[in-house]
Amino acid sequence: MTFFLAILDGLIVLLLAPLTVGFVRLAKARFQNRRGAPVYLPYLTLLSLMRKEMTVTKHSSWVFAAAPFFVLASAIALAFIVPTAAAGVLPDFASNLFLVGGIAAFGSVFLAMGGMDAASTFGNMGASREMTLAAFVEPAFYMGFSALALVGGTWSLDGILRHLASLPWSAGVPAASIALVALVFVTLAENARYPVDNPATHLELTMVHEAMLLEYSGPSLALLEYASAVKLTVMLGLVASLSLPFFLIQPPVTALGLVLGVLALIAKLALAAFVLAFIESTFVKMRFYRMQEYFSLAFIVALAGLLLALISMTR
Amino acid sequence: MLSLLAKIVATGSITEPVSTFPEPELGETGENLKAAIGALYGGRSLHIRHVDAGSNNGEEYEMTALGNAFYDVERFGLSFVASPRHADILTVSGPVTRNMEHALRTAYELMPAPRIVVAVGDGAVTGGIWKGSYAVVGPVDLVIPVDVRIPGDPPAPADILAGLLAAVRKGRS
Amino acid sequence: MAPSVFGLLFVAALVLPLLGSAAALLARRAGWGNALSQYLFMLSGVLGLAALAGYFTALHAASSVVLLSSPVLAFSVTPLSAFFLLIVYLGTFITSLYALGYLPLYADAYSVPLTNAVSGVFLFALAAVLLSTTVFTFLLSWELMSLSAYFLVIADRSPESLSAGFLYLVMTHIGFACLSAGFLLLSGGHAFISFDGVREVARQLNPAALAAAFALLFIGFGSKAGLVPLHQWLPYAHPQAPSHSSALLSGTMLKVALYGFLLALTLFPGIPASWAFTVAAVGLISAFFGALSAAVEHDAKRLLAWSSVENMGLIFSGVGIALVLHGLSMPLSGALAAAFALFVAFHVLNHFAFKTGLFLATGAMVAKTHTRDLDLYGGLAGKWPAFSGVFLVLVIAAAALPPSGTFFGEWLYLQSLAAALRFSSPLLVASAAAALGLAALVGGLALFAFVKFFSAAFLGRARSEHAEAAEPMPVLLLVPPLLCAAFSVLLGLFGLPVLSAATAGFGSLVPVTTVVPGASMSAWFVFALLAFASAFAFIAYRVFARNRTVRRTETWDCGTPLTPRMEYTATGFSAPMRFFFRGLVMAQKEILAEAVVPGNPWIANRRIEWSIASVWEAWLYRRIARGIVSVAAFVKRLQNGVIQLYLLFVLLALIIVVLVAL
Repeated sequence: MTFFLAILDGLIVLLLAPLTVGFVRLAKARFQNRRGAPVYLPYLTLLSLMRKEMTVTKHSSWVFAAAPFFVLASAIALAFIVPTAAAGVLPDFASNLFLVGGIAAFGSVFLAMGGMDAASTFGNMGASREMTLAAFVEPAFYMGFSALALVGGTWSLDGILRHLASLPWSAGVPAASIALVALVFVTLAENARYPVDNPATHLELTMVHEAMLLEYSGPSLALLEYASAVKLTVMLGLVASLSLPFFLIQPPVTALGLVLGVLALIAKLALAAFVLAFIESTFVKMRFYRMQEYFSLAFIVALAGLLLALISMTR
Repeated sequence: MLSLLAKIVATGSITEPVSTFPEPELGETGENLKAAIGALYGGRSLHIRHVDAGSNNGEEYEMTALGNAFYDVERFGLSFVASPRHADILTVSGPVTRNMEHALRTAYELMPAPRIVVAVGDGAVTGGIWKGSYAVVGPVDLVIPVDVRIPGDPPAPADILAGLLAAVRKGRS
Repeated sequence: MAPSVFGLLFVAALVLPLLGSAAALLARRAGWGNALSQYLFMLSGVLGLAALAGYFTALHAASSVVLLSSPVLAFSVTPLSAFFLLIVYLGTFITSLYALGYLPLYADAYSVPLTNAVSGVFLFALAAVLLSTTVFTFLLSWELMSLSAYFLVIADRSPESLSAGFLYLVMTHIGFACLSAGFLLLSGGHAFISFDGVREVARQLNPAALAAAFALLFIGFGSKAGLVPLHQWLPYAHPQAPSHSSALLSGTMLKVALYGFLLALTLFPGIPASWAFTVAAVGLISAFFGALSAAVEHDAKRLLAWSSVENMGLIFSGVGIALVLHGLSMPLSGALAAAFALFVAFHVLNHFAFKTGLFLATGAMVAKTHTRDLDLYGGLAGKWPAFSGVFLVLVIAAAALPPSGTFFGEWLYLQSLAAALRFSSPLLVASAAAALGLAALVGGLALFAFVKFFSAAFLGRARSEHAEAAEPMPVLLLVPPLLCAAFSVLLGLFGLPVLSAATAGFGSLVPVTTVVPGASMSAWFVFALLAFASAFAFIAYRVFARNRTVRRTETWDCGTPLTPRMEYTATGFSAPMRFFFRGLVMAQKEILAEAVVPGNPWIANRRIEWSIASVWEAWLYRRIARGIVSVAAFVKRLQNGVIQLYLLFVLLALIIVVLVAL
């Protein structure tokens, strides 16, 4: 039963991923006093891309062609091992936080290799920057999750979520709320959002993630766009569920609980998308060469969360 | 930040409803447009790549306005992208100068099929006042096949938007 | 197999490399001389592995096999040395297989018979160090190993090799002096005493002598293993050797240094926490500097050498942390100490697998492109698809990405550190948090370095005619790296469950390794997950992609034709790292503009000059060298040719001697 719930949790995320992107775009449009595109548009975009042919630079090798599959594989694997709608359904080894970090790094490595294989300076620059960010994000990532793990008493994300769900509210646990702030920093960096990267930029020199995608077209572009949507949904869903651990699908499960869980996840994703759009509408993008400040801040916030967790443990 | 937010809330949505746009005159549209729109789910989500092949930037000013809150091109599923490889529609402005001919050809070549080319402005449609100059090749259709023509010098944002929407509608029929 | 049989096998495996050396010298004019030597080396590897298989299956764990015991030389196999012998003989086999096809390519650069003769001695010495059971035998074998390695470093006799070899020779002898002093201090001055005897003597020593001996031994073995600040020779010396020897130096000899350190640890009656902390801290700092230097390096083989510094640093820090935890008597500390010990064993194997493979593969690449500069490669994936696939697997292992064995090793490390956050001592928790942050950053930098390596070498277009004119890759050079890659993957699949006794079944299908309560990992699950997710992605593509035509075009150039010069090189790729760590890598960049006429705004040409340097070299080595030179300059004043003064010195010396003697 829990096995099916785990699969279901992953499938829900895979299905909802384009919707999350639609939510973010809609919220951003409203912040700009625009009407904005319908939320279901990303589905149509992906399907349209799937119907196009592929034009590929003749200077690229098999790595360029294979990279989208591995990037998407990493995102799909994340969708299945990171708990979002359901809690208490994965065994400890399956959602170990270091495994989550490793799988995420696996995807960004192949993305960067795809960018390097395009023989274009834009992709190369994006790859170099992406790998720099990937190197810097690791300490904050592991430190933030370790703080949560100390609160939850387990090293699996699923276990942490289960623990937080058993408390009245995670905002009542100061360590968890500070660690969650650090995880918001990490989420923004991992998903190439403001203030680390500008997902809507048309100026190649300000790009990180988009620059690596410039040479992809048609179905392979669709795979990559979908992969980044899935990754965004996974991270937003995780952070939202950790901060609002309500209406989670937990065994023993009922039909009502299942429906409520899915609806609650959609609501949480919409809320997270709103917050993301709020951040992107009120903050400015930082210069790339100031990124060490951003990551130091993220690391220190995570460390503060860790300290609080340790202090509350010794009490 | 709070005053900014207050202003955002106070202003609300200021996007023009589509009914206020003028009815465009598109002229001939070919089979390619229909095939492309048909293949791409009726053109509900189309990506635009713009190439300035030698215009006086009048068209670019007007096209930039498409993204603002007043015209909001995104609500129709149209969006501008950073690479021709991502694009379904190539908009071209200006008479094609000899220096930009190669750039225009590569941009078109790199676009994955099905693809639509839209000539924006008199320069792109006919060559405009530069027609016959030694520095220009001529209108866009001398270089790459054109599906839709939006005349004007420069066409107003409303004209461009109405033209694009009319082209999509025609493609669907 | 009876013990006597594999005892004989061990002896045969030990002696065969020397036969190979002799064969290389005797058959130096024959065309088949190289092949004969390599076959003898490979036979030694096979016999050694067979003997080890017999040893591991037939014997109970804590027993040793005596091969030779005379008052002067004594060799025997112990469980610890057997583990490291595994690496030596695997390395012997793989590198000799490679040298079969590799050395003939370099008949002009190296004297092949001499190189093989030295290699034989080196292979013999590697095994001899591991088998030694007396202080004298150990030091003799150690010196033999160091000296033969020196001749491998200077094999091509180029000025660079000679200067790198000189640095190596000086450093290794400083290390050797420390080792001799340390061992003799422990053994009470007896050189021919067995290690068991040393253990007895050491028990009687006072703490100060023990501390001095520990410091000396740590410096001695640490300098061989490339620990900061005694790492300076390693990135210069290892890459200069022929590539199959580089692989042995980095993949195997560094582990022998680790073996020496572990052996030395067993001689002490106890290891105080402060020593263990020092080892852990030095290890982590080495790991950080190794990873950072690898991230900004653009010489292909030197990058690998820096990565060896990083990995040896991680291993030594693992040893240090295990010792710290071993000395504690807190709940969990025993389990975590075991986890770190497991990490050390596992990472020794993993590092051996990917580093040997990468050195061999890089050697093949260098042989076919005639350059070691990463900036001049590019586009090799299109030329050598199979080779680049093997290389990618090795790179994934080196970057510690799932599902390689290295990932599970680093998981053990990070997970155990994170688990140590639960201790109640503030000092321990603070150290664990600092170590966790630093280790995560080290992992990130290693990731950066190896993505840079692979991308700059294999992807995009060829950056120079070196890569443009690369010849096809012969199968003989592809097979040894392939073996290493396969070994890496197998280690991922089976390593953790086999090495750790703590396994439990999940539905009795998947072996799961548990480190501490609440933290477990299953390698098979990770393999299955990635395979499932890739299959999922592929099926999604097949189902949804209605149009699967692919059209080949030029790269998008915005209208200006692109040249390979516009691509990022390894140097360009690492520019952000040079910027963010500019203090530590001492990065300097200057744009030099030359005007047509002085004062004229027209620029005739413009070029950029940049450099990175080692902080250790600038702040430590150069200072020491300057100090030595100034002392020498001062002493030189005495040597002024006045005979009376010299006589005075002789007289003074005599008086002092007499005074001391009385």
